[in-house]
Amino acid sequence: MTDSEPTPPVKSSGRKILVVLRRYFAPQWRHSLLLLLLLLAGIALQLINPWLLGQFIDEAIAGAPLNTLLKLAGLFLGFALLRQLDTVAEAFLAANIGLRATNALRADLARHCLNLDMAFHNARTPGEMIERIDGDVDRLNNFFARFVIDLLGNFLLLIGVLILVWRIHWQLGAALTSFSLVTFVLLNRLRDIGVPYFRDARQANAMLYGFIEERLSGTEDIRANGGVAYVMRRLLEHARRLFRADLKASLMSFSVFGFTRALFMAGTGVALGLSAFLYLEGALTIGAVYLAYRYTEILLQPIEVINRQIQDLQQAGASVARVQELLNRSSRIQDSGTTPLPQSGALPVEFENLTFGYIDDDNASGAPLELVLRGLSFTLPAGSVTGLLGRTGSGKTTLSRMVFRAYDPTGGAVRLGGLDLRAAPLADVRRSIGVVTQEIQLFHASLRDNLTLFDPVVPDAQIESVIRELGLGNWLDSLPEGLNTLLQPGGGGLSAGEAQLLAFVRVFLSEPQVVVLDEASSRLDPATERLLEQAITRLLSGRTGIIIAHRLGTIERVDNVMILERGEILEFGPRAALAADPASRFSQLLAAGLEEALV
Amino acid sequence: MTSASDRAHEWRTWRYMVELARYKPWLYALEVLFNPVLFYFVPLIPALIVRQLLDGLTGSAPAELNIWGLVTLFSGVWLMRHAFNVVAIVTDIGLNHVGIALLRRNLLNFVLQQPGARALPHSPGEAISRFRDDTESIPNFLAWTMDPVVQVLVMITGLATLASINSLITVAVVLPILVTLVIVNNATKRIRRYREAAREAAGGVTDFLGETFGAVMAIQIAGTQEHVIRHFEQRNEKRRKTALADLVFSQALQTFTFNSASLGTGILLLVAARSMQGGAGTFTVGDFSLFVSYLGWLTIVTSMFGNFLILYRQTGVSVKRLMELMPGAPPSRLVEHNPIHFTGSLPPLPQPRAAEPLQRLSVRGLSYTYPGSSHGVRGIDLDLERGSFTVITGRIGSGKTTLLRALLGLLPPDAGEVTWNGRRVEDPAAFFSPPHGAYTPQAPRLFSETLKDNVLMGLEGEEADFDAAIHAAVFERDLAELAHGADTLVGVRGTRLSGGQVQRTAAARMFVRRPELLVFDDLSSALDVDTERLLWERLFAKSGHTCLVVSHRRAALRRASHIIVLSEGRIATQGTLNELLQSSAEFQRLWEGDLGAAQPAPESDTAPA
Repeated sequence: MTDSEPTPPVKSSGRKILVVLRRYFAPQWRHSLLLLLLLLAGIALQLINPWLLGQFIDEAIAGAPLNTLLKLAGLFLGFALLRQLDTVAEAFLAANIGLRATNALRADLARHCLNLDMAFHNARTPGEMIERIDGDVDRLNNFFARFVIDLLGNFLLLIGVLILVWRIHWQLGAALTSFSLVTFVLLNRLRDIGVPYFRDARQANAMLYGFIEERLSGTEDIRANGGVAYVMRRLLEHARRLFRADLKASLMSFSVFGFTRALFMAGTGVALGLSAFLYLEGALTIGAVYLAYRYTEILLQPIEVINRQIQDLQQAGASVARVQELLNRSSRIQDSGTTPLPQSGALPVEFENLTFGYIDDDNASGAPLELVLRGLSFTLPAGSVTGLLGRTGSGKTTLSRMVFRAYDPTGGAVRLGGLDLRAAPLADVRRSIGVVTQEIQLFHASLRDNLTLFDPVVPDAQIESVIRELGLGNWLDSLPEGLNTLLQPGGGGLSAGEAQLLAFVRVFLSEPQVVVLDEASSRLDPATERLLEQAITRLLSGRTGIIIAHRLGTIERVDNVMILERGEILEFGPRAALAADPASRFSQLLAAGLEEALV
Repeated sequence: MTSASDRAHEWRTWRYMVELARYKPWLYALEVLFNPVLFYFVPLIPALIVRQLLDGLTGSAPAELNIWGLVTLFSGVWLMRHAFNVVAIVTDIGLNHVGIALLRRNLLNFVLQQPGARALPHSPGEAISRFRDDTESIPNFLAWTMDPVVQVLVMITGLATLASINSLITVAVVLPILVTLVIVNNATKRIRRYREAAREAAGGVTDFLGETFGAVMAIQIAGTQEHVIRHFEQRNEKRRKTALADLVFSQALQTFTFNSASLGTGILLLVAARSMQGGAGTFTVGDFSLFVSYLGWLTIVTSMFGNFLILYRQTGVSVKRLMELMPGAPPSRLVEHNPIHFTGSLPPLPQPRAAEPLQRLSVRGLSYTYPGSSHGVRGIDLDLERGSFTVITGRIGSGKTTLLRALLGLLPPDAGEVTWNGRRVEDPAAFFSPPHGAYTPQAPRLFSETLKDNVLMGLEGEEADFDAAIHAAVFERDLAELAHGADTLVGVRGTRLSGGQVQRTAAARMFVRRPELLVFDDLSSALDVDTERLLWERLFAKSGHTCLVVSHRRAALRRASHIIVLSEGRIATQGTLNELLQSSAEFQRLWEGDLGAAQPAPESDTAPA
């Protein structure tokens, strides 16, 4: 379970980060270059002003004419204004680069995850996915925007200041250079210490949001079954864990940075003392002493920024590691088939000695938990309709999911039109199949987007005609903006049965070759179900159909009946023949149904 | 939404802050006094030391010059500040998390007290962005709340020091700082507007992500991954634009305040030029250095104050967004002082008490209409006697589920009264939970925990109670076949179980609480014939259950002591099975639809007398 996802040790996050950086930073090199120029201009402006002040002091002490002094003051003001403009432009550019890069990463990440197999998704809540795609990437924002630029810019600033200090006096230059070097060596040694702690903190965050989202989706269940106190307690447990992880990460990172910073401050003191002695020995003017002091102060800035960026790198390292973890997780469904499936016409469905067990997503070995389907072999002829019966948990839904390759078999094969599913492109397999399940997920988006799942190509007229065909014409007419009406979140205002009809519309629009109806009409009342019957008949004509049902009435239209028990075929044959055979389980079920009707 | 925001206005942002500060007063005091004093005052000291040093060197200072003493003092001040930073980090993180946890606790608790079927104004995914970002902004601001006081103090100290050196120059250099303050204060309305737009766009992103990852399989089958991503990109793009506006505007303001430092220094140069000329002595190099340092620092302090104003506005937006999750709640609910138990062990969970046995439940005139539509139920009257089995049936969209929800308070009824043994139920939502009632919705939600935790939800009881509930829900065979039995993790929303197993787990969750009234919405929709029959048999084997059931299944209808047929939100007809089969054409259609063409037998002939 994800609750206790282990934290693998992190050695160096450096290389991984570079890969991510290169991919999303590179497309914006023009903006980045401009940002660098602005930064360099800012540095130059920053170095000029103290120099002007030093000049001012020396000139003033030396008794220069007032005019010269005022000119220096005017220059100072002008440069100061320029620098502020530079700062705003820089902030805008950096934020824009960061947001563009992170948006590209978010889209890639969402795309990657959206194509991952169901074993992956079954182990992760939507809330956790929100946090991993949005939250983790958000932490990379500043990193994308500023990291390289700031590092480069401040490194240049550092060098610039050191050169200027060397020019004031070589002893001062040597002292400050050696302090800077020691600081950076230490920082480089210690920088990765915080990463695992930040990663733990990120995971604690993701778990918390996963928890909250899941509970927010189940308010009715919690409320009406007296689970509120229990849920609140779990929330506090999560909050406590997050607090501890966060505190640990912050203290860890502070212990590294506080130390190096304190060390550097000691260096500043030494430089100040040194320049005082040099003055007394007549090697420096008082203006130069002041300038040296100002430059030492300025030197603190690049060290702080580089410090902060490396601290950010730690957090970014934790986020990148989690992003990479997602990106490296390849789908268990390999899309390497190249033989195309026929584009139209019903296809036969064939199972050959098929065995399947679900895989625990955290289990790296990929060994199945327990077998859900055991040694199934059968053929559903093209254009035939098969009713699938069996107790709940007997493997009906799992069997139907094998047909559209939601999972790959543990052993054996599934063939569509004689072709092993793994030999065909995944897109072909999915396009050829239409599925209606009991649950339908609606989006807080337009009705149109809900029905086409955001495919803009499907013409409105076609959508409307399908809606009317399914008896929802009045409902459609009652909507204020027709197909463009925004559906309320969670399908508010739609009954479960109406939502299920929308699922039928989705399938009709996709014009599949094989149709799977998984308890598709269970939420419909019998009267509506009959209304739908004609539509279903039309949907099934010229297509291979699999109908999962527990109501005998639902499978009147079928040609064949298959009964599953504990993942094995108990019975499979033409409906009429099974019904006529008094020894068959099917006829017993029919009798049970009748008996029920007679009690 | 408007009503919520109006209410939020009943309290200004600072009142929420006062309540939060009072929650852990010592932690708050430590954070807001210790940290700002350290932050704002300490930088004043090194500048004084440097002035002393410079004046000593140029011979302006009267005292004997001790260079190394001053240097040691200089470094010592900084080292001390860093050492104390450890305390600052602990209080900072502590105060932050305490505040965040309290807000989240109060929010979730409120949401769970709401009519369960309409607990959120928007989607769960959208609410996540509020639970995530807005709860973080508020305690973050809390740490700043005392800063203005310290800022004023540090300003007074700094300016007094400067004025003692040269009051005229002091006045000249401070003017720009004052001007900027006025300007920033006037810009705060726009800050608020930009922040609101940015947060709303962010909600659009999380909303969509949540829904997308709740519908992965449907999207994969439809093969529209690329279209979905394009839609996602559009929402991202909208967020980028609003976030940029938000950021650039506040950044420009900050820069503007910051700029006044340079202006001040420029003015200083102009004004001080004459006094410093030729080292005449009225304004020394040390004084000059001190002025430049202090001006720099005091302007940073001013820009921090500007920052404070900006943050205050932005926090106001977060407060408003959180209050929108709590429509109708008094503002105090958001910051109510409730225990969050960061230390020590968590207290035991309250266990349900025994309830007054149900004799008769009556409903009169119950109505509910979905906002902005004509769907709903109207004028529902019904009575449930102890031990009765009432079935509600009707076509899709006829209001069956809505009726159950309105009755149980899971939707807020527009009108109507519910009485329990003749006494009016004031708050149905609170009342109809165990031990009075329990409910299994049409599409039950399980959570990513073990099967046992899902059933018990914190209920402490005998092992036998759990086993009995599992048996009553006809789950014992499934349980035996699960790899880890009752400790099996059911996966996200129970996805590792089949649809029927989810329904029966939810039924067990209801049974184990032994409520007086059992309410099922279409419980058997994912059950096969055998399992369903077994479930009703076991339920009827134990007497005393009062059941209210939505179903169109014959197995249920045949056992009903009373049947209610809904049509377009009203009770079309009601009675026993026999009565309805003879009198109601609508009911006959519903009844016969079930077996359809296969068994068009005249049911009324074979129905029990």
